[in-house]
Amino acid sequence: MSLRVEQLAWGHPLPGGDWRQLFRDFSFHCPQGQFVVVIGSNGSGKSTLLNLVAGTLKAGAGSIHLGDRALERRRDHARARWIGRVMQNPLEGSCPGLTVAENLRLAERRHRPALGWGGLVGLHPNGADRRRYRTLLDDLGVPLAHRLDEPVGQLSGGQRQTLSLVMATLGCPELLLLDEHTAALDPRAEASVIALTERLVRQLGTTTLMVTHSLDQALSYGDRLVMLHEGRLHGDWTAAERAGLSAEALRGFYGSATMVNSAAQSSDGPASP
Amino acid sequence: MLSLWLGAYDQGLAYAGLALGTYLTLRVLNFPDLTVDGSFALGGGAAAMLISEGVPVPLSLAMAVFFGFLAGMVTGLIHTRLGVNELFAGILTTTGLYSITLRLMGRSNIPLTDTPAGILHLPDLGMGLDGRWAVGFSLVVLGLVLLSALLLATDFGLALRALGNNPTMARANGINQRRGLTLGIAAANGLVALSGALVATYQGFADVTMGIGSLILGLGMVIVGESVLRPKSIPWALGAVVLGAVLFRALIAIALQLGLEPVDLKLTTALLLLVALAFGRLRLPGVSDPGGTNR
Repeated sequence: MSLRVEQLAWGHPLPGGDWRQLFRDFSFHCPQGQFVVVIGSNGSGKSTLLNLVAGTLKAGAGSIHLGDRALERRRDHARARWIGRVMQNPLEGSCPGLTVAENLRLAERRHRPALGWGGLVGLHPNGADRRRYRTLLDDLGVPLAHRLDEPVGQLSGGQRQTLSLVMATLGCPELLLLDEHTAALDPRAEASVIALTERLVRQLGTTTLMVTHSLDQALSYGDRLVMLHEGRLHGDWTAAERAGLSAEALRGFYGSATMVNSAAQSSDGPASP
Repeated sequence: MLSLWLGAYDQGLAYAGLALGTYLTLRVLNFPDLTVDGSFALGGGAAAMLISEGVPVPLSLAMAVFFGFLAGMVTGLIHTRLGVNELFAGILTTTGLYSITLRLMGRSNIPLTDTPAGILHLPDLGMGLDGRWAVGFSLVVLGLVLLSALLLATDFGLALRALGNNPTMARANGINQRRGLTLGIAAANGLVALSGALVATYQGFADVTMGIGSLILGLGMVIVGESVLRPKSIPWALGAVVLGAVLFRALIAIALQLGLEPVDLKLTTALLLLVALAFGRLRLPGVSDPGGTNR
């Protein structure tokens, strides 16, 4: 599904009673299936944008549409039926006290409310669930199939983040939000998680927003690169345009006060490649 | 001497609902619920009032569960809808429940002189009336443990466990935190109220103050059970909690046998729990610092 953010406004109080208006009339369009990498300095609004889309923050004004569905009036758990999320902290993306299979079951059940009568039917995860998860993990090349009954708290940070990614994409969400999901990983785990991300996004064709501070990732992954600066779209490049950029050039754009390229002035950004 | 242990066993099983309810809120939902002090007395008072009015015992117990469920739901709604701190939400409900229980009972104490007919039909195992109570309570508690274990093994139960374990992640997977907490706290207080009703039926009276210290008592039972069995799975944890309830009542029976004044029992229970907390072997939400690192 396409993501359309229109005239979004959001601010927050500062110590001392002042108010910081981060987003003001912010508009952004992400066509269906597009993999967008979002970069920007700290405080530019990258994670806030993801939180506003996911519903963990409430917008002051504006609309957020996923396809034809208006999201802004739905709470975060209701949006989760269509949105998969991986957070920066590997400890946040799964339940450490539950087993790998139980976490996968939670994610698999995302589309149907577990806290209704339907949630009382059947015991889960059962043998059939486990076989399904084993096949899924093996097919993805994720070495967790033999650890289905271990508590997630016993996994390493990289394994937990891999599991979070699998959980977020389970059941083919319509939108995938990745918030610096490799930032807390060592280089080896980072490479493994980012490769799995690329593979899953391409396989599923899910519309994806991936926030990162890694300029290497920004220059290597996704169909489109956007840069945020103080709650505004500061730069917007297609994959072809991005090919002409270097890490040095991108680094230089971070401190620039004016828009980096003309595409960022268009609320819809460039067309999907 | 056998009568002493059998009495402790009976009382332990009567209190098992309190321990299971405490386990559900504190360990599963990670919610320190102070409603139990009020819902325990509410269950006991409501059941005693209904039985004394001639309502059949099973129906009286079911009504006690219903009232406890409502009490828990009020705490859950105060916390989730009005954003009141979890401890304050429980205190508010418990304070209100004192008047409600007193209103229901009509007086502060209701005696129950007759043993329920259902108990008299049970086998006595050669141990008289206490044996009949033991059989009756064993069946009820076995049913409660089975039901709780089954509930926690469904997607519904998995969602409740996820909410207690990582609410952010639970919401990110479509779980309605407000509904989950409210239903979980309500179910726990239903169990606690049933326990109050069973205790009132067993001891032959209900008193409006019978709930004071119930949370500490429930905590003590959970801790004792977990220390003995060190459970690794939910069914084992539920079994451990019931064992904890029986052992805790046995400890009290021993203390009384050794000359402890009954009036000092609650102080002794509180001090025992304080010692456990101070030694840092216990991590309770809202009660002890996580990891014991702060101050």
